[in-house]
Amino acid sequence: MARARVGAGESMTDARPLLAALLVCACRAAGSGSVVRAPLAPLTQGESGLAIVAGKVLTLDAEKQVFDPGLVLVRGDKIAYAGALTEIPAGYERLDAPDLWVHPGFVDLHTHIHAAGWHDLNDMVMPLNPGLRARPTIDPWEERLEHARAAGVTTMFGIPGSGTSLGGFGTVYKPERDAGYEEIVVRDPGGMKVAQNFNPQRSAGDLGNSWAGLAFGLEYWNDRIERRVAAGDPGVENHQFADLAKVHRGELPVLIHCASAEGVAAATRMWKLRYGTDAVITHGCWDGWRAAHYTAAAGIPINAGPRVENLTAMVRENRFVGIAHEYLKAGNELVSLNTDSPVVPEEELFLQGSWSSRMGADGYTMLAALTTHPARSFQLGERVGSLEPGKDADLVLSSGDPLDPRSRIELVIIDGRVQYSRAKDGALF
Amino acid sequence: MLATIVLASMAGGSGAGGPPEAGEVGGPGLALLAAKILTVPYEGAQFVDHGVVLVKDGKITAIGPRAEVSIPADHRVVDLGDSWLTPGFIDLHCHSAGPSLYSGVNDLNDLVYLVNPDLRAAPSVEPHVYDMRVAIAGGITTVLYIPGSGSNIGGQGILVKTAFDRFEQNLVRNPGSMKLAQWGNPESWGPGVGMAFENWNTRNTIRRGVAYAERWKDQDPGNEKDLTFEAFRDLVARKIAFSVHTQVYQVVLMTITMIAGEFDLPVFTDHSEIGGWLAAPEALKAGVPAIVGPRTTDHVYSRGFINWARNKHEGVRGLAAGWQELGMKDIGFNTDSPVVPQEELPVQATMGVRYGMDDSGLAALRGLTIVPARAAKIDARVGSLEVGKDADILVCDGYPIDPRTTVQRVFVNGIQAYDGAREGRRW
Repeated sequence: MARARVGAGESMTDARPLLAALLVCACRAAGSGSVVRAPLAPLTQGESGLAIVAGKVLTLDAEKQVFDPGLVLVRGDKIAYAGALTEIPAGYERLDAPDLWVHPGFVDLHTHIHAAGWHDLNDMVMPLNPGLRARPTIDPWEERLEHARAAGVTTMFGIPGSGTSLGGFGTVYKPERDAGYEEIVVRDPGGMKVAQNFNPQRSAGDLGNSWAGLAFGLEYWNDRIERRVAAGDPGVENHQFADLAKVHRGELPVLIHCASAEGVAAATRMWKLRYGTDAVITHGCWDGWRAAHYTAAAGIPINAGPRVENLTAMVRENRFVGIAHEYLKAGNELVSLNTDSPVVPEEELFLQGSWSSRMGADGYTMLAALTTHPARSFQLGERVGSLEPGKDADLVLSSGDPLDPRSRIELVIIDGRVQYSRAKDGALF
Repeated sequence: MLATIVLASMAGGSGAGGPPEAGEVGGPGLALLAAKILTVPYEGAQFVDHGVVLVKDGKITAIGPRAEVSIPADHRVVDLGDSWLTPGFIDLHCHSAGPSLYSGVNDLNDLVYLVNPDLRAAPSVEPHVYDMRVAIAGGITTVLYIPGSGSNIGGQGILVKTAFDRFEQNLVRNPGSMKLAQWGNPESWGPGVGMAFENWNTRNTIRRGVAYAERWKDQDPGNEKDLTFEAFRDLVARKIAFSVHTQVYQVVLMTITMIAGEFDLPVFTDHSEIGGWLAAPEALKAGVPAIVGPRTTDHVYSRGFINWARNKHEGVRGLAAGWQELGMKDIGFNTDSPVVPQEELPVQATMGVRYGMDDSGLAALRGLTIVPARAAKIDARVGSLEVGKDADILVCDGYPIDPRTTVQRVFVNGIQAYDGAREGRRW
């Protein structure tokens, strides 16, 4: 989809490139006639529900449906309906938001703000730590999470740092207010964190610090666990290797910190092609985009950020490179964006989309890169990332195009509960 | 003037030796057709739909709807389709048109004396710095390159364009301003320097400068010429303004009452941050514009002994919004480059809108164009798309306050100074 522009004579200060593009989607969806809806059920006694009548509903579903205006029904902690305006079933509390856009909450697969101190992010004793979990470091009352939810970030993968080659297992959680660990956790362990190159070279324990040393370490454990999993060896189910075994059985995804073209290619080769794990490239920056055809052919998802541009290409070749744009151009489908918070503040996740859009990527795709793409990349697509019946009621009400910094988030709902209200809580950033 | 014209035609986009291209000095005329032209004059209609701009000899010769402007036969017509045209952006607080502190060179803060009205930024200008190549790609066509705020009076700024590789071709005005730092940095000059001394020191220097200028008004001082005070002749003649590093209410107020009030000299407040907007009523009365940045907000919660956020419910106070809410119309933006990169000037305006500035009258775009042009007294040449002004024109793919909009081409003095499609994006 080309970047659409508001034409002459239309609103000037409100030039929303998404708008026109989305209208096209909406017309297509409406015109297809393929949408079949079951009658909407009323709430039963004791159930709570919220009916949001909004100016625009961006579902981010597979058909890229947009409803203008639209209705979202939140039943308990799930979405019961997201679509065209229709009669609201009995029992729902009605919220009229004719000027607001509703879209799914943002998903950030690369975050480190769950723990107050850096020292809790990297256990730097051993280079390979398949037994470590981020779980004990998660602090649901951490102040930065307040900013995260105010910015519409509703699902986060909190992970160990990249100080060691295999940092351990992160937790997928939601930055909900006034809630304990058990209430906010989505999946624990949520997935594995690997640092394929660069950072762990600074301190790789007793293995030396070359790429060869790091690759040897990772392959050493992977080969062993792969063989033992294949043989059905119950001895693998111990607290040191059980989670790594899940990765090899495809039950958990793995997020791989890597950068540069050769680093991205090496990570793809090892984790996707050699071991067949459900791997996701994270960062993929510097000139990692030069391996974009390779990653596209391998079908490995890309989670770009915190850098969104490649400055060395500018210096060396006078070439202006937006990283997400380059991966998309080469045919990569699941391209998502991260903050690596606090490297980029969690509340600026949406700006990663704005900037990637400025650097060439299509605006709608960049909204997908903050919602459905990361969710589908990381075995979370059944629960979050789009507004569809049965999915978690994680949604954001915004005063306009969510990738336009002039827009403001008015309301954030996680699991059906209002987590942030601009009118009540004020603008935090 | 003649030398400038000759240089302009030599160094034009046509390349060395070639004939001048359409729009350039000495070349045939140029007609730019676009879907929307944001003309932003200080008063009157702010835009033209489906319009045309005629350019001849580097100047705008006509502008209006296509149906109303007849294009002379010898003009080269460039149909820019759905593009939007705006005036080139102007940054009145730039430290990167030459070696900057970030490149490890300090040529902007001469810290021998506390007041230096005689020092000029001009010798530090380096037209080839990469910052300016990115600046032009971002649509910043004119900058006020000024001394730092390490001393009380830093010296004379210079107004230059960013497009060309010759100093003479870029020159708009020298001196371009008198840079003052009333408070909030010059303290580092030496022990014991504070707000009261700095105010006296500034006031005393200006008083002497004005006396010198009045004494030699309309006549050549000859052997009596005093370089220390020579620039005050331009200030008293109202050809240039004081650009004043300010923040907090008292300093903004002192700037207004002393320079605009007591001395009746042209002045604009720069930075205008950290509660400076509270002095907006006084600035409005004295006709002193506010140029805001590099901060765009007072990110101060309503606690502590200074209530900078003025008990607003929201902890983030947008500065441009603060000035605007108190009635100020002339609100501009700056980067203090390289504090904020030069090319991000329009993003400063975006953030102004994010934090509450009402942009329904194109206030954000005006803050990048006509407002700074008037503040620096160069609005006869730049700052809006009007007949007789320099053809400094940006071709954008949308409203430039949306950061997803990119600048596709830049014309300066009618010369195509940047073409993203041909040269590649730099920003």
